[in-house]
Amino acid sequence: MIGLTTVKGSTQNNRRMISRTAIAAMLLSALTAGAAAAADFDADATITIGSLYEPQNLDNTAGAGQGINEAFNNNVYEGLFRLADSGNVEPVLAKDFKVSEDGLTYTFTLQPGVKFHSGDALTSKDVKFSIERVTSAESKSSRKNSLKVIAGIETPDDATVVIKLSSRSISLPYNLSYVWIINDTATNLTATEDGTGPYELADWRRGSSLALTRFDDYWGQKPSNGDVVFQYFTEATALNNALLTGSVDIITSVQSPDSLVQFKDNVDFTVAEGKSTTKLLLAYNDRVAPFDNVKVRKALARAIDDAKLLKAVWGDYGSLIGSMVPPTDPWFIDLTKTDAYDVESAKALLKEAGYPDGFSFTIDTPNYDPHPIVAQFLQTELAKIGVKVTINVITANEWYSKVYKAHDFQATLQEHVNHRDIVFYGNPDFYWGYNNPKVVDLIKQAEASTTTEEQTNRLKDANTIIAEDAASNWLYLYPQIVVSAKSVTGYPLNGLNAQFFAGGIRKAD
Amino acid sequence: MSDTVTIIASTSGRKRRSLTFTIGAFLVGLHIIVGLMTLIWTPFDPGAMSGERLEAASLLHLAGTDRLGRDLFSLIMIGSRIALIVGTGAIVIGGLIGITIGLLAAFASKTLDDVLAAGLDILIAFPTLLLAMLIVASSDGSSLWTAIFAIGIANSAIVARLTRILAKRVLSMDYITASRISGTSWMGVVAIHILPNIWPTLLVNLALQFGLAVIAEASLSYLGLGAPPPNASWGRLLQEAQGTVYTAPLGAIAPGIALVSLVIGINLLADGLRDLADPTRRSRK
Repeated sequence: MIGLTTVKGSTQNNRRMISRTAIAAMLLSALTAGAAAAADFDADATITIGSLYEPQNLDNTAGAGQGINEAFNNNVYEGLFRLADSGNVEPVLAKDFKVSEDGLTYTFTLQPGVKFHSGDALTSKDVKFSIERVTSAESKSSRKNSLKVIAGIETPDDATVVIKLSSRSISLPYNLSYVWIINDTATNLTATEDGTGPYELADWRRGSSLALTRFDDYWGQKPSNGDVVFQYFTEATALNNALLTGSVDIITSVQSPDSLVQFKDNVDFTVAEGKSTTKLLLAYNDRVAPFDNVKVRKALARAIDDAKLLKAVWGDYGSLIGSMVPPTDPWFIDLTKTDAYDVESAKALLKEAGYPDGFSFTIDTPNYDPHPIVAQFLQTELAKIGVKVTINVITANEWYSKVYKAHDFQATLQEHVNHRDIVFYGNPDFYWGYNNPKVVDLIKQAEASTTTEEQTNRLKDANTIIAEDAASNWLYLYPQIVVSAKSVTGYPLNGLNAQFFAGGIRKAD
Repeated sequence: MSDTVTIIASTSGRKRRSLTFTIGAFLVGLHIIVGLMTLIWTPFDPGAMSGERLEAASLLHLAGTDRLGRDLFSLIMIGSRIALIVGTGAIVIGGLIGITIGLLAAFASKTLDDVLAAGLDILIAFPTLLLAMLIVASSDGSSLWTAIFAIGIANSAIVARLTRILAKRVLSMDYITASRISGTSWMGVVAIHILPNIWPTLLVNLALQFGLAVIAEASLSYLGLGAPPPNASWGRLLQEAQGTVYTAPLGAIAPGIALVSLVIGINLLADGLRDLADPTRRSRK
């Protein structure tokens, strides 16, 4: 929270904020010390985290889904950097780094004394191995494209990694936060792990739970709990009941406003609202007719009353967005006015595009909430402009193979959880196939910027064009609501990228 | 047990059963009327967002509204139609396939009969819902018709086994031999002797299968494998209401009552049918 206030505070306030932060930090550390002495929390507690996102496997380069980031990022695996809950990029395994004058050579010095869970020491070779895993041909990492600029990795000694780039990449540290540092001798990573994080994998029961236990040789600050168990549910009501009956301690993100009623007025629970980066998209396949026509996409954007949809699904929570960029990204601009709800102009645009009587298309709809109900809403809304929607319900696996890999779809519904994922629009090979050379170029240039200001301006321009092109239909931004038992504190609120750092969680005795 | 006692017991039992038949016929008839009515009229356009989010029951919205503000009563009425279509479709398919295979098995050579009987037993041992899920999953996208087909196939094994046993019993009768000697073809035997004899029992069984098909469809829809939206299946309504069950319990209760009333109605009707159609029970009177 303190970090967030500092980020949002104006420059005039900054100094005051910083001193306040310092005082707060001192207080906090005093409190921590005091707590440790007085033991008002159980240092060996088992924290049970309830989640709906079970990973498909344990390797984030093998299509494991968002669940693996939730369970493993900074808990089991660490990167050279991490995306903190505040949205800042912080060094983790990189002790410090230097950038050459031309911005093409990054020299990283690794943290000393870091051990993998298998007992091996961290060396620069592991880092090289880990980055190359993500950029390799077999990798299915969604960030693979962002790391394409890496021309070569050198390991002059065990503690130094030199990354050579083919062009400037201002967000290299940020992109490296997606790269898990894995022991280069590790095998079978879809079912086991060998990372450097504060926890190691104890037990994985497919379809049920993932148990982590404190790693005693951890190089950094020890976790304030003993074990962390991610308990997986396929159904939100079951998850809520689990929290009510005390079989889980925390729900990482509540998926329906109606279930909150049970917790809000109950003194045994804490309901906290953070900032989400999860967007619900009606993504078209921009390669195929009629969605290759900008006018059709704009018409559809205008025909849908996003506010009414948000209200239906989330009640009074969540917010509207006009593009892929949520307010927490530095290059946010309010684009909700672009192609705002206007049925008459939607009809006119459709006529201009050559579809005066509308057309029909199929939405591949993942079978879990809220997708089916959203698809029905779209069906009703689009019928008003003569567009007939067929709903094809598919599983998450089918979505991955049919839509994401094979691009065999007309339109689909999907929640995009990633932070700073506007860059996906700069990749014409991405599943939605949006290809505007201007945007591709702007996103490329933004990467090559020398200052963050330059980068921000370019991405703002790109963002505006993408919104003007109605590349996809950004329906709304999810709220981020964490509910926990009162006895549990210290968990991350924002869950950026669906991460959930468990190290700081405390459970009262 | 003396004769008098038997008679008293059986007449009172008969009265009770005719009451169940009446209730069953009333419930099923109600659903048929509602289902037919939805073809021309529902209180609200089922797709239209005619109210606010999760409205409580009122004179306007008899069962309240769902999250999208759609009138639940209209959706449940359409659910009656969907359920009846699926039930009818499933027993027609299950009946046609089942009776054909059952008769074939009854007439087949010993080896073929054993193979068919074993195959049917395996199919029956397989849970109906699981089998239907497999069929839906292997077809290209779920639709009302894949659901009907899947449930029909799953039910056909039970019908086939029953037909086989019943037909074999008839075939073992002396009058079949007499009929054959007098020149009746096998097709004639089926038409004149077998079907009229096994029909009452089969009918009751098919009626029970109807109820099972309605439940199976609701289960498939609940799992997202049944009739896709906008078909307002009760199973899907139940699934969609699950997240709001604490704030708007009516959303789950109302389709639940509709489902239960139809299935109970069918079972009572089947029970009554058995009395009316079964010659062995009739003779006891």
